[in-house]
Amino acid sequence: MRPDSASQIMRLLGQTRVPSFENISNLSMNSDCTQVVVPEEVFFTIAIAGILENLLVLIAVIKNKNLHLPMYLFICSLSVSDILVSLYKTLENILIILCKMGYLTPRGDFETKIDDVMDSLFVLSLLGSVFTLLAIAADRYITIFFALQYHNIMTLNRALIILAVIWAFCAGSGIAMTIFSHETATVISFTILFPFMLIFILCLYIHMFLLARSHAKKIASLPSSAVPQRVNLKGAITLTIFFGVFLCCWGPFLLHILLMKFCPFNPYCACYMSVFHVNATLILCNGIVDPMIYAFRSPELRSTLKKMFCCTRCTNHPSFRSTGLHVHSL
Amino acid sequence: MSAHRLISNRTSQQALSNSDYTWEYEYYEYGPVSFEGLKAHKYSIVIGFWVGLAVFVIFMFFVLTLLTKTGAPHQDNTEPSEKRFHVSSFVADFGKPLESDKVFSRQVAEESRSLFHFYINEVEHLDKAKQSHKASGLDSNIHFQEVARSSGRLAEELNCLTKFNIPNFVNTDQNSSLGEDDLLISEPPIILESKPVNQASCQILD
Repeated sequence: MRPDSASQIMRLLGQTRVPSFENISNLSMNSDCTQVVVPEEVFFTIAIAGILENLLVLIAVIKNKNLHLPMYLFICSLSVSDILVSLYKTLENILIILCKMGYLTPRGDFETKIDDVMDSLFVLSLLGSVFTLLAIAADRYITIFFALQYHNIMTLNRALIILAVIWAFCAGSGIAMTIFSHETATVISFTILFPFMLIFILCLYIHMFLLARSHAKKIASLPSSAVPQRVNLKGAITLTIFFGVFLCCWGPFLLHILLMKFCPFNPYCACYMSVFHVNATLILCNGIVDPMIYAFRSPELRSTLKKMFCCTRCTNHPSFRSTGLHVHSL
Repeated sequence: MSAHRLISNRTSQQALSNSDYTWEYEYYEYGPVSFEGLKAHKYSIVIGFWVGLAVFVIFMFFVLTLLTKTGAPHQDNTEPSEKRFHVSSFVADFGKPLESDKVFSRQVAEESRSLFHFYINEVEHLDKAKQSHKASGLDSNIHFQEVARSSGRLAEELNCLTKFNIPNFVNTDQNSSLGEDDLLISEPPIILESKPVNQASCQILD
């Protein structure tokens, strides 16, 4: 039966009891857990905000030569992966709207290929995001614990090579996972990768944190200084924010994939899977929050952005002409 | 990938025009699900997941704050005057590189901070060595020489301390690729040179 007549029948009948071949399509209407729908305007707004914010970070790092350091390369890589995730969601929504409007056939060859390409893009950006977070944590670890040899260990060339390896691995994994997406092993390896990476990154940060704590205690034992309880709390808050954001944004989606693989017919699982769009929106929100907690914490990057905006707004003001020249020379 | 197929499934249900997507069994997510006889609330997994996540994050926060409050007991036994001298001599020199070149200021600040952490480790080592030797003298120079003789590793660390004494440590950092051997070779004269600097810094702070 053609799709158009099927939908016409359902509109005419206006009821939930329909012929069996349409039962599957109506089950979400039958079930008590209807899909929680996020309006597409919200989706697009969040995706575009994420793309713009991460583009700002990239532009700031490229413009300012002081920021051509390994640490900022990794932050750029994180921004690139966030841009890719937001792009994926935006493109997918556009394709779905085109499908709804009838410009694209649902199961054409071209559409299926585009689906596969976009799926591998999504896995690529997801893995890239996680591995970049690991690289950022490792870079900070080396900065603190191998401080004297840091410039020998982490040169700009090595950072570029590390990033190239990470992205090549993620691209290969993305393609492999898309091809073998039906296998259970794919799903299990995908979901197990995240907790392991998270625990490893957490261990790195806790070790760094312990060193900072002992340093703060040394300072605190000086007779002239006040006890810096605020400093210690700040470290705890920072670490909690890092991991809280990661868990809250990626956790729901990963649980969704697990449930979809292992208990698709369980009513509880089905109710969880009905909030899929909220989970997908959370992934987009991760793209917005990541620059705030990684990139914008750097004063140099913030000052670069301020100079960029001041330059575009105040080009005619005489006092800013010198700063304008200064920025252009960077 | 099944996630995308789920999305296609969702959209088709919304539009009611692409039921083609949902006919194939591989687009299966909402297979025959019966909602009768549920013992718990139907959104129990959703609620349970978010509550569990919130509890975990709060637990992690409290563990991290507790890590800041508990400390090793041996740190309390160090003499505060000795510690003040070590930290203050570093702080006096610490101020110089940051004022010098603004182009490198960011890099320098980061490195200084990280080197500061490293230095604090060394203060800890020196204090432990002090306790083992039971040296009561407050003359830091004698103390440095004692500790330097005791182990080669500590001599290396002293070089990092003396490196901080050099005002333009950005340049020396670029030369750090020479390796640690060069620092070890030049170690004795640097210790002697550090005496007037340390005394000067002591005077500055007192």
